[in-house]
Amino acid sequence: MNMTHRFLIPITALAMLATAGTALAQVAARAPDRGTVQQLQKLSAKPTPKLADGRVDFNGTWDHLGGIEFVRPVKRADGSICLIACGPAPGGAPPAPFPPVQTDFPKYKPELQAKVADLKKRQVELDSNLRCQAPGVPRIGPPAKIIQNAREVVFLYDDVNGAFFRIIPTDGRPHRKDVPASYLGDAIGRIEGDTLIVETVAFNEDTWLTDNGAFHTKDLKVTERFRRVGDTIEWRATVQDPAILVEPWSLKPQVMWITDIEVEEPARCEDRDVPHIIDGSHHDNPR
Amino acid sequence: MRFRVGSLLAVMVVSAAATLLAHHSVPGQFDVSKPMTLKGIISKVDWINPHIYVHLDVKDAGGTTNTWALATLPTAMMRRAGLTRETLQGKPGEEVTITAVPARDGSKHLGWINKITYADGHSFAPTGQ
Repeated sequence: MNMTHRFLIPITALAMLATAGTALAQVAARAPDRGTVQQLQKLSAKPTPKLADGRVDFNGTWDHLGGIEFVRPVKRADGSICLIACGPAPGGAPPAPFPPVQTDFPKYKPELQAKVADLKKRQVELDSNLRCQAPGVPRIGPPAKIIQNAREVVFLYDDVNGAFFRIIPTDGRPHRKDVPASYLGDAIGRIEGDTLIVETVAFNEDTWLTDNGAFHTKDLKVTERFRRVGDTIEWRATVQDPAILVEPWSLKPQVMWITDIEVEEPARCEDRDVPHIIDGSHHDNPR
Repeated sequence: MRFRVGSLLAVMVVSAAATLLAHHSVPGQFDVSKPMTLKGIISKVDWINPHIYVHLDVKDAGGTTNTWALATLPTAMMRRAGLTRETLQGKPGEEVTITAVPARDGSKHLGWINKITYADGHSFAPTGQ
């Protein structure tokens, strides 16, 4: 445990104790069938595995609710199935209400507020994420699978927009100079103790950082930190784009946990909806 | 170890909605105030993202068959409930009843599924029931 964690963890623990009742209820309401507090406690209490070379082992298939935790199927005896906002299961209590969406947004320079507002208004028209493109980083979120060897780690994503991957050298190689700008950028990584740190640059400007017009420039740099704790990983991401942001934007952290549900090849993405949308409204929740 | 678990739980609390799928809204495309009932045979299921499309052959009063394209949820959500393309399609030739809402832009035979009820009475409801 490094010095930063010596101070941070007691603070977060105290904060958690202050809100423990609400927090536990929110977690349970969000994912009653997986990712419960009890499951996470058990998984995080396990020993953190290491590879033969002594480095922490990040290999595995990882669940992190995947953005569809509000899908809580209710199956009835006759085979009927309801997926979202269902009534109580036969003989069961009504499900707890889904907790309200907590939004988070980067802080843009004042002279760019109008541009962001305009992009937000025209999201359905402009957002490439609605047209089966790679979501970009950090919008794509944590990977579904991590494959690690002596020279690199590979991230695999099972995304509604497609199957995406990132290859991240961890042997000291610098960023490549000859790669074109891309949706998921050029990444390099290093392992410090229990944390894998990934720095990504060389993005194109077709993606947004999150919902609601959060554009970025080609100078975007994203730093992700994967801290393995037992059979869980804390995922944190920080965005730097100093030409347009007042300060670096740190996303709300997420927790990944090991799962035996293997990644599937996602179905083909083919948007047929956008041309028929009348008023441009969209789900007000970031990915 | 106690503090490590505490840290993780605190992280969970603030990550409540960080990865919800960004997409357009159903009322932005479909008129949810005009539910309709269609009876017909599911001729095809396009198992695609971001929305699966169910094709329903419906005979009108004059005997003409119109094929409706009816959208529903993404494939990952169906998989979460154990549903597949085959379970969604039902038995070959089976008449089903679908409640749906029509497209707002006036496109004919385009809608969003509220509920599919199969011949034996069991149903599939993407949202509520």
